[in-house]
Amino acid sequence: MFDGLLGFAHSIGNFASPTVILYALGASLVGLIIGALPGLTATMGVALMTTLTLKLPSDQALLILICTYVGAIYGGSRSAILLNIPGTPASAASCLDGHALAKQGLAGRAMGIATSGSILGTWIGMFFLALFTPILGEMALKFGAYEFFWLAVFGVVISGNLTGTDPLKGWIAGFIGLFIAAIGQEGMYAYDRFTFGVHDLSGGIALIPALVGVFGFAEVLNVMKDKPQKFIINTYDTVIPKIKDVLQYWRTVIRSGLIGTFIGIVPGVGEDVAAWSSYAAARRASKEKEKFGKGSVEGLMAAETGDNACVPGAVIPVLTLAVPGSAPAAVLLAAMLIHGVRPGPMIMVENPTFVYDVVAMMFFASIGILIYGLTLTRLLVKILLVPRALVMPVIFVLCAVGSYAIASRPFDILVMLVFGIVGLALRSLNYPMAPLVLGIVLGDLLDKSLRRGLNLSDGDLTPFLTRPIAFVLFLLVLFTLLMNIPVARRVMGQGTALLLRPFQRT
Amino acid sequence: MDQPPAQPAVAEETPVSPRADFWSSFIWIALGLAILVISLKMDRLERFQASIYTAPGLVPGLLGIAIAIMGAILLLRAVRGGALQSRARAPLVLRDHWRLIFSLGLSLVYALVIVASALPFWLVTAIYVAVFVIVFQYAERRAAGQVPRGIAVAVVHGLLAGWLIQYVFEELFLVRLP
Repeated sequence: MFDGLLGFAHSIGNFASPTVILYALGASLVGLIIGALPGLTATMGVALMTTLTLKLPSDQALLILICTYVGAIYGGSRSAILLNIPGTPASAASCLDGHALAKQGLAGRAMGIATSGSILGTWIGMFFLALFTPILGEMALKFGAYEFFWLAVFGVVISGNLTGTDPLKGWIAGFIGLFIAAIGQEGMYAYDRFTFGVHDLSGGIALIPALVGVFGFAEVLNVMKDKPQKFIINTYDTVIPKIKDVLQYWRTVIRSGLIGTFIGIVPGVGEDVAAWSSYAAARRASKEKEKFGKGSVEGLMAAETGDNACVPGAVIPVLTLAVPGSAPAAVLLAAMLIHGVRPGPMIMVENPTFVYDVVAMMFFASIGILIYGLTLTRLLVKILLVPRALVMPVIFVLCAVGSYAIASRPFDILVMLVFGIVGLALRSLNYPMAPLVLGIVLGDLLDKSLRRGLNLSDGDLTPFLTRPIAFVLFLLVLFTLLMNIPVARRVMGQGTALLLRPFQRT
Repeated sequence: MDQPPAQPAVAEETPVSPRADFWSSFIWIALGLAILVISLKMDRLERFQASIYTAPGLVPGLLGIAIAIMGAILLLRAVRGGALQSRARAPLVLRDHWRLIFSLGLSLVYALVIVASALPFWLVTAIYVAVFVIVFQYAERRAAGQVPRGIAVAVVHGLLAGWLIQYVFEELFLVRLP
């Protein structure tokens, strides 16, 4: 525990230079604006900032990306409260009570609750990031090909199951992502797969241009295809958070922080599920259930604490397993690789201080959102009213430039365009994008792990099921799949009832 | 009596018709089978004494099977949901989708020009942004009697965007532009 605190203090000291603090504050502001503008998501923000910070030293670049990520997740609450439109999917739950408070003339109080909830959520997540990462890192050292294979399958299956309304479509998106990752030279023999003689495909589909297409270009088209809405912003009171709101709902804050962090750790699920889960748990446990949806301080606090706690949570599997906990974390993982940081089981051996550097980056981000949460209300209100027709062409230019900047390849612009168009088509058919992204990230891991595992066991499948961690992951995959088959769900329900019968009172 | 909570103005997902799922399922089945066939035809590298379990086509082949199976399940579900029942479909009117078609077309042209032409980046960007803004704000500006002002705003916005993006990427962060 004290080692962790010392590591954290040391990292804070390392970052305490005017340039770095300026970067942190600037990136938090950029994130906040991106998050606040409906149509611009945290994933897109982090992806675009990755391309902008390519030439910076790795620690400064990652600081900028993490501050953008945290700022964007917080920023989404502004449009949720003021416009009843979630700035990012993570803020959808905040619309319910945030906007209801705004309609009562309490938009300032709602923004104050969002600010305090977001900061506390980030801090709770940071605490578990520092606590769990070394433990999980040690556990991850026991992972071999069999465990990594099931982890990749589990990531795609659970992400497909939880991120959309239709698990089947989520799984299809996830498996398409796994297939996309198979395009190009494979990792064992450098054999070209699905390249059809196109030289540029040999290097595979780069993650950042694909993500910029799916979350940037597709979003530009999605926003522009509909007529612009007229926004009306209600008057607002003071945005300074009330200490009473925090103290009165401290249980909700801690519960939501824990839920958010845990959901962050689950591969590919993300902040929106964290916010809704925290909101639902708060409603179940609340003494004021009737206020939920009508301006409940507790409901807004739960949603905002949950989604921001998810951010550090999503970084835990990035650092320990090189598996992202959310779509923006997938970009962060790609950025780490670009900057020469090798996340994964060896991180606590090769680069143990890096974990505390990341915690310190989160801390700077939380200070950024505190400062802007208290001071920039009027400016943000003005930004929210900027017509989309002015913003979206600039975003597309950034998408094109950003895709090119990674490797100076015009081919990556084409990748961005194709993924944007396909992404828009898939989204209009309700295919969630998070499993697709996770599939692209995990495809290589799944491919190598399955082939290595089969090679080691000479085609014997039993090690995939007999090693303890692999078996647990297999059971989780099986359970997730069976829960979506009505007959299996009924049988499992009856079986559980039968098992619990001796313990139930008559 | 309890009132239902206010829903966010932007719903995350709108329902998709079984017919749309029906057609998309064919794409998945075809894609899955194509992946499987190509994977089966891949070199197994036996001349390098490579194990059959490390053949490059193994994992893509399995993924192809999985995608085709899920496509088939989607197909069955769409049929059970009434995809084959004949219903009058609203004809596709391209004019109703002009916003999407225009933004897509203009963006594609812009991407092509910055890659293939020798024009300065800032100029192409300024033209793209200005045209985008003029077209999408035209109706609103015309209704307000502000067309010349709208054009002026769009041109200034375009020039500013072109210059600022070039400056930030190339000068401030030393990143190469197309």
